[in-house]
Amino acid sequence: MTDPTVPAVGAPYEPLPGAHDDLVAPDGTLRGPWAAVAPTLLGSGDLDRRSVEAARLLADDGVTYQGAPTGGPGHRPWAADPVPLVLAADEWATLERGVAQRAQLLDRVLDDLYGPRRLVRDGLLPPEVVYGHPGFLRPADGIRVPGAHQLFLAATDLARDDQGRHVVLSDRAQAPSGAGYALENRVVMSRVLPDLHRSAQVQRLAPFLRALRSALLSVAPDTDDVPRIVVLTPGPWSETSFEHGYLATQLGVPLVQGEDLRVRDGRVWMRSIDRLEPVHVILRRVDAQYCDPVELLPGSSLGVPGLLEACRIGNVSVVNTFGSGVLENPGLMPFLPRVAEVVLDEELLLPSAETWWCGEPAARHHVLTHLEGLVVKPIARGAGTTTQLGWALDAAGRDELRRRIESRPHEWVGQRPVAIGTAPSLVEGALAPRRTVLRTFAVTEGEGYSVMPGGLTRVATRPDQLVITNQAGAVSKDTCVLAAEPEHLTGFWLQPPPDAGALVPAGPSTSPRAGEHLFWMSRYAERAASLTRLLRVVTDRRNEFAAGATPAGVASIQVLLRALTAVSGTWPGFSGDAGAGLVARPDDELRSLVVDELRPGTLAYDLRRLLDAATEVRDQVSGDTWLVMGHLDRELDDLRRRAPLTPDPILLGRVLQALIALAGLAAESTVRDGAWRLQEAGRRLERALQASALLRATVVDSVDTATDSLVLESALIVAESIITYRRRSRSRARVVTALDLLVVDPDNPRSLAFQTRALRAAVAGLPGPATGASTALRRCGDAAELVAAADTSDLGHLDDGGRRGRLAAFLDDLDDHLHRAADAIDAEHFTHQVPQRSVFTPNDPGRR
Amino acid sequence: MTYRVVHRTEYRYDREVFSTYGEARLHPRELPGQRCYSTTLSVDPFPEEYRVRRDFFGNRVAHYAVLEPHLDLVVTATSLVDVQGRPAPPPGTSDRPWEAARDRLLSDPDPEAREARQFTLPSPAAAGSDVAAAYVADSFPAGRPLDEALAELTGRVRADFEFQPGSTDVDSTVDELFARGAGVCQDFAHLAIAGLRALGLATRYVSGYLETDPPPGRPRLEGADVSHAWVAVFLPGWGWIDLDPTNDQLVDDRYVTVAWGRDYADVPPLKGVIFTEGDSHQLSVSVDVTPVDDEETRRAMA
Repeated sequence: MTDPTVPAVGAPYEPLPGAHDDLVAPDGTLRGPWAAVAPTLLGSGDLDRRSVEAARLLADDGVTYQGAPTGGPGHRPWAADPVPLVLAADEWATLERGVAQRAQLLDRVLDDLYGPRRLVRDGLLPPEVVYGHPGFLRPADGIRVPGAHQLFLAATDLARDDQGRHVVLSDRAQAPSGAGYALENRVVMSRVLPDLHRSAQVQRLAPFLRALRSALLSVAPDTDDVPRIVVLTPGPWSETSFEHGYLATQLGVPLVQGEDLRVRDGRVWMRSIDRLEPVHVILRRVDAQYCDPVELLPGSSLGVPGLLEACRIGNVSVVNTFGSGVLENPGLMPFLPRVAEVVLDEELLLPSAETWWCGEPAARHHVLTHLEGLVVKPIARGAGTTTQLGWALDAAGRDELRRRIESRPHEWVGQRPVAIGTAPSLVEGALAPRRTVLRTFAVTEGEGYSVMPGGLTRVATRPDQLVITNQAGAVSKDTCVLAAEPEHLTGFWLQPPPDAGALVPAGPSTSPRAGEHLFWMSRYAERAASLTRLLRVVTDRRNEFAAGATPAGVASIQVLLRALTAVSGTWPGFSGDAGAGLVARPDDELRSLVVDELRPGTLAYDLRRLLDAATEVRDQVSGDTWLVMGHLDRELDDLRRRAPLTPDPILLGRVLQALIALAGLAAESTVRDGAWRLQEAGRRLERALQASALLRATVVDSVDTATDSLVLESALIVAESIITYRRRSRSRARVVTALDLLVVDPDNPRSLAFQTRALRAAVAGLPGPATGASTALRRCGDAAELVAAADTSDLGHLDDGGRRGRLAAFLDDLDDHLHRAADAIDAEHFTHQVPQRSVFTPNDPGRR
Repeated sequence: MTYRVVHRTEYRYDREVFSTYGEARLHPRELPGQRCYSTTLSVDPFPEEYRVRRDFFGNRVAHYAVLEPHLDLVVTATSLVDVQGRPAPPPGTSDRPWEAARDRLLSDPDPEAREARQFTLPSPAAAGSDVAAAYVADSFPAGRPLDEALAELTGRVRADFEFQPGSTDVDSTVDELFARGAGVCQDFAHLAIAGLRALGLATRYVSGYLETDPPPGRPRLEGADVSHAWVAVFLPGWGWIDLDPTNDQLVDDRYVTVAWGRDYADVPPLKGVIFTEGDSHQLSVSVDVTPVDDEETRRAMA
């Protein structure tokens, strides 16, 4: 027997007056579903710790909402409450039927509105509700998605009213978000609260992912090819970009941006680094209006010119289909019960919040005369209008609102406020009731809809909050639907797919855009690693010779400081006459080299660019890689926050560890495909350039024997070759031995010979140009041959002026070859999008 | 009257254009009183993609894509159209008080009337404008017959605004027209649309051509005509009344209708997207609307 009273967790639990609470009934007893889970969940008494754990796991997975995952202005980590929303099996069964029915109904409406429009012509829907909504896209008229449904994925926002009944607050149909967050929440919470998920038989979410995948295949046009699916995202700066990458990764399909696609022969093609591939299904996460600058919003660069025409021909299916946003109109709500009776011959199972559409005179009158008791909403989101709570406005505010409604009545609805029900949430270490909104998801499946068992629950952060959205800062909850009977464990990959063999298309695809980011990702990683190593050596040397008693020590530090400027490319810095002052008092410049995020070449800058590049190619980056990126992101945050006065060796050590882990993942956990070769090429090219800069700054100019020796040793430490050097340095002159090791030794993975050969091998494995030989490969070959032919005795020769001029000339030649190679790789593999412009001709000039 | 209409548009670019995706609304519609015997479109360079469909409003749209590099693009539409006996509202319809048209629109269960209600709503290029609403309302005192009010309105537009090619561009708003006092046909059409819709009258934008007479004693000049735009107001129970605020007249048999929509943005003659490093182009448009009085051609058409 479980204790039917509320377990004591922190402060006493007091339901909000007038609102249904999920945990406690008015008589103070625990409600049904909680009786089953409360002992496990609340008995452990360490919810706070679990909350911290959940936040850490979400951060490690890079889960964010709104804006830049790597510290940009809109950066916001995804917040999850460890206390789940719990729904009993029987209540869920009812809700599920209602959600599926609503999807069916909205599908029939959508089907009609972009087809015969009988609902409008026959009078079931007022024309203004449809034609006055910005989500109604006239160019989408007549576009059909194959299969039983036009509405692919429907989302419904639900809340409990004061009686505990689920009421629909709004419908999401344009490009509904949240399913990916719900899946990720579950992954994290089942790690944080394993007992709950083991003991309480929570219905699993994995089958929904399968349903989504099957649905995507089911809407593919007839084709002889294996249908190729992509996720179309506006890019990493979109609010929900995490989810776009997450879904692409989970579905195993490419994440693309508009510029990765093009229309040719009435088909959509994806540009990949080695070929053009046909695309058959696009899971659209770019707002419909932005998807085709020819027919929709001119000037949008997030879309694909000609996409609508390709859809019209039927060569590609875009879901959700264009124009589905019209279903989000709350002005439809008053008409849905009647439409359900007529088109489905069914009673509407889920009530909507009671809504008055102001386009109807009687309803308008009601709204205008009851403003103080209503929630007033514009029929479309955005465009400078927001939901207004009538009772929160003063008299002037209400007059203003009245004027706005009267001037364009069809653009407004009034809704009776729902006393949104509460659920227990963890607030400052104690359970407290918070209002919650549940978003459910239904995806087309055969003749019906498959509903995700659960959904995305959002929780108000304050007791009085009534508008609960992610934009408004709500946190999320895992949504646990209890199973009626023990469920068979199913994982996405455990069951054979419906059409085995049709699922995995030939080879993964990397677009030139993604390829470019991968290339630069490894270049920035190498830059950061090389700079970190040199900073560490400089720090060590300064500690060693701080007292200034050893002239050679002091002189070697000066050389190394100038090397820092050269290796990081942060001229003038310590170099030249102007740098002499900085060399004498280097702390400010050293600090800048670490923390100055906006200054190209600094450590913070390199890390930022590395993270940005990784964010652009989320779907190509493994989970473990993302884990390392998460660490780097936190180090960068730490740098920003603490801004250490001098390079902190511990921090440098942690950064270096993470960078080494990245290189290790690339070497040990990455399939050798085109994407890997681009990363490898970037890594080798950059390492060669860094090594060349280091040699030029440390070995070319001789100071005196003692200083040279200290500098050379430092350079060998930076180049990770000091141990081998010590073992070999007995027989030959010291500089020549070092050059043997750092320039020509084919077995030293830090030598120039090794880098240039690996670079050539990586580029040779990339697809060549359509016609002729690859210039990139030729340039890489030039670099490799130059290094292979080098004579280290000759390069080590010291001129009369105390300079190794031949080494300098050799390094200049090498840099020249490497830069040409980089340009050629860019030209051959990263076809840059030509800018796009819109042109019109006027009905002009007219005539009198 | 039968017309041959040749509408040639040429874009010359300062830098190479790698590809063009475009739409043309240049094929005349079939209407009571307007027959389109033939209409062809040519695109040079030859387009790799070319398809014709009907858009939401029933206009014929050609979609084309030129995917080879080009420095200029020429789109030419050639049509042979006969316009004769355009229906005019009979007595007892448009001569009734204008409020009747407004009120009946909201109660009329006729599907055409219900569809027409979308043209009472503000649209992107003819957004609501208080200035336009007040201007137009002056011609619509209570109880005035619709035809009288419309005639007065077009007369005022012609008198109050200067016709000045080049004074506005395709993005100009109605409020800008009032500020400038000058504009072109599409500005006058947008003014009438914004004001008439504010009264609750369904009003649409029509693009097409107008045959122009050469000055007395001079020969017709080739390429001297232009594309034109006017408006149409819906009269429930009868249909659309086309009127030309630019020229202060009802649309008659000298007008060729090509396309209609809520405003200019629904029916530009050409629109599209180009990919280029360049940032400017020169546009030249020539239109010839030539009466065909050659017997043989007419017999061939009949």
